[in-house]
Amino acid sequence: MSTYIPIDSASSPLGQDASKTAAVGPSLAFDDQRHLTAHRWLVEETYILDRQDYDAWLETLAEDIHYFMPIRVTTALGTGYDTAKDMAHFDEDKYSLSRRVARFDTGHAWAEDPPSRLRHHLSNVRTFATENENELVVESAVLLFRSRGDVLEPSLLSVGRVDLLRLEDGVWRLARRHIAADESVLRMQNLAVFL
Amino acid sequence: MRDADDVIANVRRGMLPAHIYNDAEVFEAEKERLFSRAWMFVAHESELPQVGDYVVRRVMENSFIVSRDQSGEIHAMFNMCLHRGMQVCRAEQGNASHFRCPYHGWSYKNDGRIVGMPFHKEAYGGEEGFARKGQRLLPAPSLGIYNGLIFVSMDPDAEPLEDFLGDFKFYLDYYTKQSASGVEIRGPQRWRVKANWKIGAENFAGDMYHTPQTHTSVVEIGLFREPKAEKRKDGNTYWAGKGGGTTYKLPPGTFEEKMSYVGYPDEMIERMKEQWSQEQVDVIGRDGFMISAASVFPNISLVHNWPKVAEGDDVLPFISIRQWQPISADETEVLSWFVVDKEAPEEFKKLSYKAYLMCFGSSGMFEQDDVENWVSLTNTAGGSMARRLLLNGRMGMLHDDSPVVQPLTEDEFCGPGVAHVGYGEYNQRHLLNEWADYLEKPAPVTENIHVGAPNVDGECSSETAAQCSSEKAEA
Repeated sequence: MSTYIPIDSASSPLGQDASKTAAVGPSLAFDDQRHLTAHRWLVEETYILDRQDYDAWLETLAEDIHYFMPIRVTTALGTGYDTAKDMAHFDEDKYSLSRRVARFDTGHAWAEDPPSRLRHHLSNVRTFATENENELVVESAVLLFRSRGDVLEPSLLSVGRVDLLRLEDGVWRLARRHIAADESVLRMQNLAVFL
Repeated sequence: MRDADDVIANVRRGMLPAHIYNDAEVFEAEKERLFSRAWMFVAHESELPQVGDYVVRRVMENSFIVSRDQSGEIHAMFNMCLHRGMQVCRAEQGNASHFRCPYHGWSYKNDGRIVGMPFHKEAYGGEEGFARKGQRLLPAPSLGIYNGLIFVSMDPDAEPLEDFLGDFKFYLDYYTKQSASGVEIRGPQRWRVKANWKIGAENFAGDMYHTPQTHTSVVEIGLFREPKAEKRKDGNTYWAGKGGGTTYKLPPGTFEEKMSYVGYPDEMIERMKEQWSQEQVDVIGRDGFMISAASVFPNISLVHNWPKVAEGDDVLPFISIRQWQPISADETEVLSWFVVDKEAPEEFKKLSYKAYLMCFGSSGMFEQDDVENWVSLTNTAGGSMARRLLLNGRMGMLHDDSPVVQPLTEDEFCGPGVAHVGYGEYNQRHLLNEWADYLEKPAPVTENIHVGAPNVDGECSSETAAQCSSEKAEA
């Protein structure tokens, strides 16, 4: 009986147009050039997110990006689903992501002013080939440490991600990100941050 | 609770002891006197569309299974095995005809009735030792449903839900009955904030004053058609029954034009016209007020707003219902659902969901900034200086308690309750006065419920004789 239930764009009300490119075969060897490329991309992105240089982050996203973080729910073994139907924390396209980023530039986005101190701890990176040599599927784990102000305890968010990277005009861009939160009740006051 | 009389007297005159927003003793009093009596939202019927569907929800620390039984009836059952007290359901949601305790295997139907006790005869000597007939998981002391919204009260003698809601039902219909089919609700998103539960309830009840400052950023990025957040002050705050909220003033036009202005398609507007009373239509059409945020005492809130979800000028309305589930004096679990008319066109449902996600909920751009304020406030309220400070919550009221602006007349606002245009803390005071009323009442009397024990009055010892006899009749 499988307990791994993959998150997929088809379960999102807004992800119907997302790329359906799937992984093919086992994970690539760690010295495979494709893995090195994908891994480096994720590490570089991690630094951009920790710096909160969100304008630079937007540049790394494909125009048709689907950025999806459904609600995780606790269900009995064998139920066949572990995400809430038609509900997510994030179900984003380029427009809504760009509005979120634009908000930080207004000088009035109090949820991140003063800004959080962020550290995305990235690990467990596995890369998979697809039927298209310009596209790679990459899995990773992220532990986000977030500290706000000088009084409250920091918060942690542990997630698994499955990304689709696509080579466009010589640049690798993120075309799809599925985020599996490891908690059904997030211990964080908001998601004014990206994973 | 220290100085309870002083705290309540100050709250009643609109001077709020700052520590009530982070005080363990106040929280204990709330648990004993308020949350043990008031009606608490647990789920919506649309979360349980099929026979056997269930969700597990809490009322404070008490876990309840809210289920739809084989005959379609809704139950809220205390999620604790009658034998040794194990949770009989440990998933948050699913579909089941029975719940079986993993500890010793006692099993219950999805209406709560016990159906399986391993070795009943050998272990207890059968019915003589443990009267199984008529035993069921403890039902919530009181259960009530309005527009599909399922509430429970821990008080077996609670007043009927509809009496509790009172005139607020008039306003609740705008959010939860836009067609004969009612609404479907999705979610909840759940997250924990280090803020006191009262702050969210007060904010949604009537705080139009925070919008221009707290939510400057969402206006600046063009999420709304109105260029200035100050638009709010032309709206009103109303209070009716156990709840109250805020409205926006809309540009002139007919009911249809006004509904269309906020983004409803014609077919939905037609259905609302059929569904709502003439007064409900007139609040929008004749008086020009569109319902927005609201709270129902003690801890659920609603919001209705209409942002842009794509480039261009079109706006799309969304509705959310949320619960401020108290964890402690300084922590709250927020449960936030997206609400949409069941009969709405699919495309509308999609875009409305998008609008909700962009504005409210765990990642919503409105809500993020709200919670930042509430966490900071709660934190500071826990200190000793906060014990000295009486916050002035008298906005909208002069020294002699007369209002700064006169309430709207029936010609200006035909909804029930009392409404004032402009900024004021009328509703926050109403909410906290309700709070004070409850804190002055003793906790309801609770009786022990004997499970399966020999009973001098007869073979059946379940919680009510009536239930017992109906079981017997069935058997």
